[in-house]
Amino acid sequence: MSTTEEKEQTVAENEQEKGGDEQAAEVAPVKPGTWRFLIPIAAFALGFMSHFSLGWVILPPILYAEKQQPIDFSHKLHVDEVGDCEGCHYFREDGSFSGIPELENCAECHEEAMGEDPEEAKLITEYIEPGKEIPWLIYARQPQCVFFSHAAHVKMGEMDCAICHGPIGDSDHVRPYQYNRLTKYSRDIWGWNIAGLSKNGWAYLKQADNSGEIKIEHAARMKMDDCAECHMEKRGVHEACFVCHK
Amino acid sequence: MKLDRRTFIELAVGFSAGAGGGFMLTPVNWKLMDDMTIWSQELWPRYQLGGLKGRLPQQGKVTHADSVCNLCPGGCGITVRKVGDRATKIEGREGYPVNDGGICPLGAAGLQLLYGPWRIPSPLKRIGKRGSGNFEKISWDEAINKVVQKLGNLRQKGQSHTVACILGSDEGTVPRLFDRFLAAYGSPNFIRTASAEDTYELALGLMQGTTGSVGYDLERANFILSFGSGLIEGWGSPVRVIQAHSTWRSGDLKDRATVVQIEPRLSNTAAKADNWYPINPGTEAALALGLAHVIIKESLYNVDFIGKHTFGFEDWSDSSGKTYMGFKRLVRTEYTPEAVSKITGLPAKKILTLARAFAKAKRPVAVWGRGKGTVSGSLYECMAVHALNALTGNINKPGGVSARPQVATRSWPEVERDATAWSGSRRPRIDGAGSNRYPLTRYLPDRWSQVMNGGKAGAIQALLVHGADPYYTTLDSAAVAKAFEAIPFVVSFSTCLDETAYHADLILPNHHYLERWEDIPTPVGLQKPILGMLKPVVSPQFDTRHAGDVLMTIAKSMGGSVASAFPWDDYETLLKETMGDNWGTLEKAGYIVNEGYKPSAWSKAFGTPSGKFEFYITAFDQAGVKIGKDVGYLPHYEPVQPEGNPATYPLILIPTELMRLADGAVGNPPFCTKTLEETELKKNDLFVEVNPKTAADYGLSEGHHAMLETAKGKAKVLVHLFEGIMPGVIGIPKGLGHAAYDDYLAGKGVSANSLIGVVEDPVTGLSAAWGVRAKLTRV
Amino acid sequence: MKEVHHKADEHHGAHEKTYKYGMVVDLDKCTGCGACMVACMAENNLSFRKDNSDRLRSNLWMRVYKISNGRPFPDTDISFIPRPCQHCEGEGHHHTPCVSVCPATATDYSHETGIVSQVYTRCFGCRYCMAACPYHVRVFNWWDPTWPKGMEKYLNPDVSVRMRGVVEKCSFCYHRYQRAKNKAYAEGRRELHEDEYQTACTQACPAGAITFGDLKNPEHKVHKLKKSRYAFRLLEKLGTNPKIYYVSTRDWGRKAGEVYAGEEPKGVTHVTHA
Repeated sequence: MSTTEEKEQTVAENEQEKGGDEQAAEVAPVKPGTWRFLIPIAAFALGFMSHFSLGWVILPPILYAEKQQPIDFSHKLHVDEVGDCEGCHYFREDGSFSGIPELENCAECHEEAMGEDPEEAKLITEYIEPGKEIPWLIYARQPQCVFFSHAAHVKMGEMDCAICHGPIGDSDHVRPYQYNRLTKYSRDIWGWNIAGLSKNGWAYLKQADNSGEIKIEHAARMKMDDCAECHMEKRGVHEACFVCHK
Repeated sequence: MKLDRRTFIELAVGFSAGAGGGFMLTPVNWKLMDDMTIWSQELWPRYQLGGLKGRLPQQGKVTHADSVCNLCPGGCGITVRKVGDRATKIEGREGYPVNDGGICPLGAAGLQLLYGPWRIPSPLKRIGKRGSGNFEKISWDEAINKVVQKLGNLRQKGQSHTVACILGSDEGTVPRLFDRFLAAYGSPNFIRTASAEDTYELALGLMQGTTGSVGYDLERANFILSFGSGLIEGWGSPVRVIQAHSTWRSGDLKDRATVVQIEPRLSNTAAKADNWYPINPGTEAALALGLAHVIIKESLYNVDFIGKHTFGFEDWSDSSGKTYMGFKRLVRTEYTPEAVSKITGLPAKKILTLARAFAKAKRPVAVWGRGKGTVSGSLYECMAVHALNALTGNINKPGGVSARPQVATRSWPEVERDATAWSGSRRPRIDGAGSNRYPLTRYLPDRWSQVMNGGKAGAIQALLVHGADPYYTTLDSAAVAKAFEAIPFVVSFSTCLDETAYHADLILPNHHYLERWEDIPTPVGLQKPILGMLKPVVSPQFDTRHAGDVLMTIAKSMGGSVASAFPWDDYETLLKETMGDNWGTLEKAGYIVNEGYKPSAWSKAFGTPSGKFEFYITAFDQAGVKIGKDVGYLPHYEPVQPEGNPATYPLILIPTELMRLADGAVGNPPFCTKTLEETELKKNDLFVEVNPKTAADYGLSEGHHAMLETAKGKAKVLVHLFEGIMPGVIGIPKGLGHAAYDDYLAGKGVSANSLIGVVEDPVTGLSAAWGVRAKLTRV
Repeated sequence: MKEVHHKADEHHGAHEKTYKYGMVVDLDKCTGCGACMVACMAENNLSFRKDNSDRLRSNLWMRVYKISNGRPFPDTDISFIPRPCQHCEGEGHHHTPCVSVCPATATDYSHETGIVSQVYTRCFGCRYCMAACPYHVRVFNWWDPTWPKGMEKYLNPDVSVRMRGVVEKCSFCYHRYQRAKNKAYAEGRRELHEDEYQTACTQACPAGAITFGDLKNPEHKVHKLKKSRYAFRLLEKLGTNPKIYYVSTRDWGRKAGEVYAGEEPKGVTHVTHA
């Protein structure tokens, strides 16, 4: 006998042995095949459910990392004191928008402590005294290829700040800054609804604040589609890319 | 249940399908796709924009800061656009009396010098061989101590006169501080680097008896006759002259000014001129006198001015009855159009036409100073050209020429010198300026190295250099290198690693011009006095100090009378004090201009011995200048022979100067080098311009490599065929051939100064060389 | 909020006014100094390399060409032609050459401003537009831009830094248009004054050779200047309808610009191929 034949025989014997074992184990009188169709269905359901929840529940928070703002700032308090947004977020003479105030704006009032809040003490000791700008994290920062004109929207379009930024003036605390781990963009750009369905980037704020219903009809996220949608609606033309892209 | 093959497949397929389906119904996959796109476009490591990740320009508050540009003697007003604390753009300052909003390429690239890697970050001490570029950072205290010790030792040994300072200017508080330092320390050796000003100041002093630099009222001139001046290529205050050029080119064609360019090569100025007259290089004086001949012969000159306010036009006799030849007779006999045509190569007819057009023009002006005016030039040539201005009565008139004063500033207290200072200052200068041989000349910037190499190697024991790059800009680079080798202690105050700093023993970096205060006196060639003020636009980017402060610290550390010569706390105090009542305006507006300034009337204008404009220079005898022949007292043509044997070197090499290529103390920034034509620089090879005829004679065609050789050196170059250059002449651009700076400039091309030597002017001792004999062979 | 929108709607239509920005370059005044090129580089974050002598690979948005009349010494003459993007409008069946070939809509002709845009985040670098452009105004980023350490400080935040693999070109300093608009909006205006929007090269030119403005607006200087009897445009025969006008009193200079499409002029010393 050649070596090959020997091998073949051994394999056959083994198979026989296996079959024997199986038959021995199946004592139950259930007919094989009646439940079999459940296997793929169960597997499908398992796969579906696991990945469905993965996509909806588990992954979304993982996509984002979170940072705390350097100082817990109360917009509400300041709006009450200053009166409006423009006191701190103003247009410069050249038509550009100041955005987040610089340290000197804060120092105008907070050169010395006005109250006993530990956050204010932090502002004075860590930033104003050493003259160090506060490293605020900007929720609405657009990538460097984007040109956005506040003047066009606020002055000419007469849009309210809250349309894009939400009712941030009513908040007592600053919310954490979340950013996409991959793109490093602020979460407000995509919006807080992972499906991108919400019409605003500040749903989180509403929940956290629980300050009642705020009626803003056309709040927007800050993705390009959102800009385009509004531009299409308001200006009725398909805008050239160059209006916003630089 | 056993996991058989079938079950496994059922499970796997079922699970996968479920997983896929489930996941497809979540937003995350679309979201991830979007994120991936952004990541791949902006953040994928291969696309990180040259390591700019995280350093991309940020928005901020935009402000504008006014200051003055200090990169050339042009002194333009600039406005710097700032975003936050970053300077992002330099623009010409609107309404500034020099440049009204315009800017030149060098000025516009100034931020590359501010933020560039060629900045010297802190005081440096040389550690390797000189010229190896190996330096070590040291502290300011250590650096200043080194200078104090070295200078103290020399002074103690009675060798204070072996200390020299080389600066780019002798006006303004900082150059004056260096001058004062030498006076208190005890050395006569303050040297100003070469420029056409050297000669023009002398010519004005001799012919008009004035001090001060030449001012041209170009804006109002309507016939501009330029003897090789690169009017739109950086001559004078570049932007101002270009703006004047535009004035000449405005309005109806028939009302426009006429520009005539005399030059052997079709420069940009020649191309833009209404007429370009190529003449044999170096014969400009002859042409000027030929034009004078026609003007005099045809009585086209200003009779009033010539009759009442000049001396030596006609023949004259002194008290002893000896008759002297006047300018008129000399010109009438020697410089007939035919004779001049032979010298210059310009047809006699053209000389006639040009002379008539010039003299008949309403406000003609003859302009002198080759190229950008970076070489001293021949005194007689300058005088011959200036004589044309006199003939047309064009001195101190609108559209004419004048000797222009500076804005007055407060004087400083006299230096109280001790014995060492007195004896040191009275020693003869190293360069021979002011000696019996060259009594008129104040500085001989191209001569000190020749003197040292000619057997006085120990003449300079310590050299301080500020605002200049003599290692690079001085003619005959090999001689300069040799002389530098012999100086035991070289200190550079340079902001950037220029050639001199590269070969220095110690670098005490000054603030960049956008980081410091300093007064900028009237730009070269302007007709009205202007004082500009450099203001810090950004805070110092490196561990640098103001040269004025450093020099005062050195002086104060030396003690004694050297220290007491500097009673000011710091440079800013000194600056404020010196500016006096003007300080407020200077601090606020950034400049002072004497708009109402008018040059004196003819009757009071001339401080010569005769009180008149002198064609015949009586001051020569007074000053003790040895003039061999009678003609030597008059503007005349004395050929300046280019160096080299015509048999060995059959061609003539002339330097050409380009607006896009800085060739002075400031190295060309990358932006400017990028603008060079592909027929000027290719990789690291420099093109020379050759007429196709000449090229054919030597078997050369476009793009060929060739060896360019002169008595001073040789270099491998590329050949560019150019119909605009006179046959037999080769043009080489100035400004390349650096070893210092860095890869953006170092190693590119050759320096014209390494091929051209000094030809001394017989009266002034300044270099009158306009070119050199050369040989071009194919390699 | 409704009210706000109504107000905004009222303005709709008010800003439909269109411009046709263009330039008139006086070649008699142009000295070839190169200040426009440097100002452009500084304004628009153009990178540079250690060796920039290869024009095919060198990125210049504004390039000053040197042309010659080709005649022998001493009748030689040279002239300079500053050449930014020509912002072709096209006419009749001709289109803006680059726009019509771009498969990505990365470049577009704006009928509001007359400016041909280039959007770097859309461009994928196929370089069809470069082939289509008869003026060689478009350059490709063969390398990632680099700046020596510290030099990134002077970068202009109003202009993107372009990555390797995309095409770029002159935008008529569009960011300056946006800046000017911003200022106008803040002051409650929609119209821009002539001097409010000027390109960097126009501003820098020491000779005042470049004039920039709305070619359609009779109050703008360009409107009159372009009508000079010495005015011409480059390769006019191609029907690209460019918005850069040149003025030269030199006949040969005008001819060199005009008839290139028909017959090669003699003596163009600086051609774009190596």
